[in-house]
Amino acid sequence: MSSVWLPCGNYHENYVIDQGWWQTRVIKGKMILLLAIVFIGIPLFASEYWVGVATMIGYTAMGAMGVQLLIGYTGLITLGHAAFIAVGAYTSTLLVLQFPWPQFLLDWGLAYPISILIGGLVAGIWSVLFGLPCAKVKGFYLILTTMAAQFITVDFVITQYVSQIGGRGQAFSLPPGTIKIGPWIIDSDVKSYYLMAIMLTLIVIIFANLLRSRPGRAWVAIRDNDIAAEALGINIVWYKLIAFFVAGFMGGLAGAFWVSNTAALSPEHFPWFLSLWLVGVILIGGAGSIHGAIFGSIFMVLIMELLQMAVIPISDYYPQLLINFAYLKDSIFGLAICIFLIYEPNGLAYRWWQIKNYFNLWPFSY
Amino acid sequence: MKRSIFQGFFVSLLAVVFAFGFSTSAAAEQIKIGGIMDTTGATSDVGKDYAIGMAEAYKYINENGGVNGKKIKYIWFDYGYRIPEAITKYRLLKRLGCVAIMGWGTGDTEALSPTINKDKIPYISASYSAHLTNPKKSRYNLFFSSDYSTNARACITAWFDKKWPEKPDYGKRAPRFACSYHFAHPYCSAPIKAIKDHARLLGFEVGPDVNVSLFALDTKSQIMALKKFKPDLVWHGNTTMSVSATLRDAYALELGADHIINNWGFDENLPRLAGEAAEGVMGATPCAFYGQNYKNMDKVVETAKKYNPGVPQNKRLIRTIQAWGDALITWEALKRADKAGDLSGHGIMVNGFETMRNFDIGLGASPISFTSTDHRATTGCLVQEWKNGKFQEVERVDIKKRWPDKWEKEWFGW
Repeated sequence: MSSVWLPCGNYHENYVIDQGWWQTRVIKGKMILLLAIVFIGIPLFASEYWVGVATMIGYTAMGAMGVQLLIGYTGLITLGHAAFIAVGAYTSTLLVLQFPWPQFLLDWGLAYPISILIGGLVAGIWSVLFGLPCAKVKGFYLILTTMAAQFITVDFVITQYVSQIGGRGQAFSLPPGTIKIGPWIIDSDVKSYYLMAIMLTLIVIIFANLLRSRPGRAWVAIRDNDIAAEALGINIVWYKLIAFFVAGFMGGLAGAFWVSNTAALSPEHFPWFLSLWLVGVILIGGAGSIHGAIFGSIFMVLIMELLQMAVIPISDYYPQLLINFAYLKDSIFGLAICIFLIYEPNGLAYRWWQIKNYFNLWPFSY
Repeated sequence: MKRSIFQGFFVSLLAVVFAFGFSTSAAAEQIKIGGIMDTTGATSDVGKDYAIGMAEAYKYINENGGVNGKKIKYIWFDYGYRIPEAITKYRLLKRLGCVAIMGWGTGDTEALSPTINKDKIPYISASYSAHLTNPKKSRYNLFFSSDYSTNARACITAWFDKKWPEKPDYGKRAPRFACSYHFAHPYCSAPIKAIKDHARLLGFEVGPDVNVSLFALDTKSQIMALKKFKPDLVWHGNTTMSVSATLRDAYALELGADHIINNWGFDENLPRLAGEAAEGVMGATPCAFYGQNYKNMDKVVETAKKYNPGVPQNKRLIRTIQAWGDALITWEALKRADKAGDLSGHGIMVNGFETMRNFDIGLGASPISFTSTDHRATTGCLVQEWKNGKFQEVERVDIKKRWPDKWEKEWFGW
């Protein structure tokens, strides 16, 4: 059964409708409105700064999708997802900078789009490597293996070797005009935003469809009770590894996108804190919900932006606030997680679900 | 009732705070300068003093007439050395209308370099990589100091001039030279090509490098590796913490070499951490140490005492002076750009920074020049050594004077 209560007078008559994307005209209208806001409203009416903030929200959401799949849908807790984002970013950048692309691919602006896909694939495979221990371990032990992914990948492989490719011994910098999709050179905040919006939309569509398929149902079964799932004939190791691949793939796409936003790359872009941050995002947004990853990203990025704006006038009277601003942000991040775990353990997605159902059932919201 | 009063107060407070916070309307005659600093992150050991010094410098500037009568509003944030944070902070500062930004380390400077060049916002940072001195590649990146490569060339030249002739093997064989630094870190590796080039130019025998992490506390294996080569001189390219650990181990294991250090590894904390192992070490100093007797130092010290009386004077570092160096050249550039009637980022660059020729900020820094084709601020630097319990001047090396052709044609942008 659908997880959403339908408005009075609407009924599902078969499973196809029950599993349908847009089950009623109201839902269809809402989705079209949302897409119009994302693709037309924000770029048209928001200032460049707020477009940049929206891009950060999208990047966070893309990164959090993989974490959501592992933690929220498969029950595999990860604390090393920034590693897979880094792999995607470095693969894409190295391909764009170093690979001898045929001239026609460069002329047609296909080098970067192809590098995004390859970045996703390499990150997916890299993620599977660190997912292999899930055949034997789970819970806290699996958390440690995913943390190892962070340190081995970013602090060792990328910092010591990959970032040295090219001999400059410096961060990679992409010359203007290198990041190009077809005739479209991504050289402004608005263009980066559009790329983010398209990629995030595609990721959400693919992710949501996967959840309605056999692997999606297997992941949820494994999350709810892996022993029962195995007893039902689900190859749990196989499906866990698929989950790692898909999560790594989505992380890789996020990383490959990130390059378009900065045109520069160094290992410092992917600290362990980013992995922790992404887990916080889905805890606040709501584990086990695609909405959750997006709501969590909006909440965390916006709260932090509003906080730094609020700090500016206060800092004239209390300068210490600026010196310790990062501590303040970390404290608020930790406090937000604590408050959500205590008062709203199902996250913002659950609150959204309640609000939606209230209006669907109105005026008989009993 | 109590609850509603509390709620009302809280909501009003938030409203006031956010109303001020969201307001971007500039007060009359105010120029906004942004700052992206690290006071809590990986480089906060040196970044905190730099950030405090920068805020003090802008207070001093406002007290002393501002920019031709216009006050500067200095808005800065700590980004904790997290690059995505630096990018969002930069966007906010841009939105708030900052015409120039005081940056910090290699991380934020490199990450933002393509963006600031596109946006034409001068970014005056504490990352002195020679890669940033070519305006064709990074027009809007600036710093007041000699770059790391010039520092390295100056240090090895000063040792060759002053110390090598005192050694018993002088005239009998070529001096031996090796480098100790964190291979994978851009700050550490930036001048290595230049210093080896310079060592060969002076006739050194160059040995293998040793990899010392920026976070190293024990470097005995690296010192043992160096002992096989028996260097006369070792270049330390890390920051103070790991350099002091390396000096201690070199002293304990009797390496027998002299040491030269890049500017971020050579400060007032070095002798505190390395003890007697620091005796005789030499380092590149883009400016004087805190409190040393140089022009304008009294203003720095007075301002520090006035605005941060809680920070003990003996804890202040050369980082404060470095911050003042960047703030003072920005002040001068703003005044010149304002006189020319163009306070846009491009105007500040063209009518401000790039009109400076041998501009003297005092503070022991070399005279500063920028042109539209060359952003190497100085042509050399002051080399000092720690001797008999204090820092002493060894030599002010002017690389351009010594090697004018190479300076113009070969040693540019690396």
